[in-house]
Amino acid sequence: MTFRSTGGPPDPELPRFRMRAGNGPPKGLGMQQKLVDALYTVAGIALFFAVWWIAASQLPRSRLVTPLEAGRDLWTNFFYSPRLGVFGLGKVGYGSLLLYTLSNVFIGLVTGGAIGILIGIASARLKLLRIFVDPVVLVLGTVPILVAAPLFLLWFGVVPFTQVLLVALYSAVMMVLFSQRAAQNVNPVYERWAMTFGAGTGARMRHILIPGTVPEIIGGLRITLASAWGLEVFAEILGAPSGIGQAIKALTNLSNVPGLLACVVIVAVTAIVTDILLVVLMRRVAIWA
Amino acid sequence: MNPGEPILSVRDIRVGFVRADGTPVLALDGVSLDVSSGEFVCILGRSGHGKTTLLNVVAGLLNAQRGEVRVMHLPVTGPGTDRGVIFQQDAVFPWMRVLDNVAFGLRVRNVSRQERLRIAREHLTLVGLLPVARAWPRELSGGMRARVAIAAVFANNPPILLADEPFGALDYVTRRQVQAVLRDLWRRTGKTVLFVTHDVDEAMMLGTRVIVVSNGRIAEDRAIELPMPRSDDDVATPAGLALKHLLLHHMGLE
Repeated sequence: MTFRSTGGPPDPELPRFRMRAGNGPPKGLGMQQKLVDALYTVAGIALFFAVWWIAASQLPRSRLVTPLEAGRDLWTNFFYSPRLGVFGLGKVGYGSLLLYTLSNVFIGLVTGGAIGILIGIASARLKLLRIFVDPVVLVLGTVPILVAAPLFLLWFGVVPFTQVLLVALYSAVMMVLFSQRAAQNVNPVYERWAMTFGAGTGARMRHILIPGTVPEIIGGLRITLASAWGLEVFAEILGAPSGIGQAIKALTNLSNVPGLLACVVIVAVTAIVTDILLVVLMRRVAIWA
Repeated sequence: MNPGEPILSVRDIRVGFVRADGTPVLALDGVSLDVSSGEFVCILGRSGHGKTTLLNVVAGLLNAQRGEVRVMHLPVTGPGTDRGVIFQQDAVFPWMRVLDNVAFGLRVRNVSRQERLRIAREHLTLVGLLPVARAWPRELSGGMRARVAIAAVFANNPPILLADEPFGALDYVTRRQVQAVLRDLWRRTGKTVLFVTHDVDEAMMLGTRVIVVSNGRIAEDRAIELPMPRSDDDVATPAGLALKHLLLHHMGLE
């Protein structure tokens, strides 16, 4: 069959498209908006440090130090901190301890997240699985970390696996809920339309369910990542062979306020950086959203 | 299939639902109809009288409690590539570019990439959307997305096209433009169309035959013997107005 264009008068809708089709507003305006957004971000950070500075100037040094002092402590102890060696952490600095924490968060989030996403999507589609999974997830989600962490330490010992498992478990629980909701939120009309094109279960999974759930799942991953940092550091404080949580524990024993603040700052900065990386990933993967 | 034989045959379809309050509702009650190849059949009726249910049964998206639907002699047991569907709701996949949306059906049927993109571009040209082939659906207007849906269904080349009030959400001018696109494609390809609408004027402008569904039954089944393609003037002739009055009467207006 040969087709020809219907021709006819120019489409009145096309010029409107051309105005919008450049993926957003004109380039100059987009840059201007980005600059304004960046200024707001910088202003927010500056305000935070200003409040910190003022508070530090009003309180005794044993309670709070200025950001500058915390920064100086961070710089001095980043690669090697002799005072941490006293607590059996070896020849380490904040940097290497942070790396331990970061790798545990990463492994825990990836494994737990992957399991959670699979169970979440499958349970959204299979009622029987959902009936089984929902109460289990509900029970696991209500177990406080204060209960789970000591139990894991007793069962598995003071090894990295204990913290990874803890992060993985809580990440899986959260991602089951996010993924289940994401799969249930995919408009059924897309699957119905795909079926009329001859798409079987596998094709619908590949072309409809997975891309349709990606934005919500990545949104859930961001929240899970933020929680994972807190979980990991807390688990390390309770008992771990290494990690920034152990540094926090040691510095608390020494009543070292600059060191404690330095640890909080590097954990916060790393958490923000990893979140930004997730946002970048989301923009690349779900460019259509 | 022999010439003159129906491409689509619906026999004694009965579909009932139970409302949330437990009240049983009979959506279709003994509906039968035959549709010949190349016909443009408009299913007309008021909301909640069974038009969409009938279309869903024919599409294989809903099982009837009684009766049978056959397409080219084969019983319908589920959705299939022999029946393309355009839904009332915007079903264009937001995560695929316009070109990929149009090529989707060919992709799931394992048509080679080169061939499916050629066919998709051809159909985008036909609906006047080739310049936006690389756009995302969110960047298009409702009318343009409706045209993407039409192009996608025609690109998959089903012998039967089912449309469920596809232009209901569009403004009057856009609706008329998209109707013209659909009519042109139907005339070029000679496909069989089952088009659900509650708009008498739309049915009279597009259809070669109109079926009024009222309270789950066929109240009227009549050929529209007006010239094709039709203008407003054709519909406003004494014959056109008489038919319109008859259809409105069956819909319970006059």
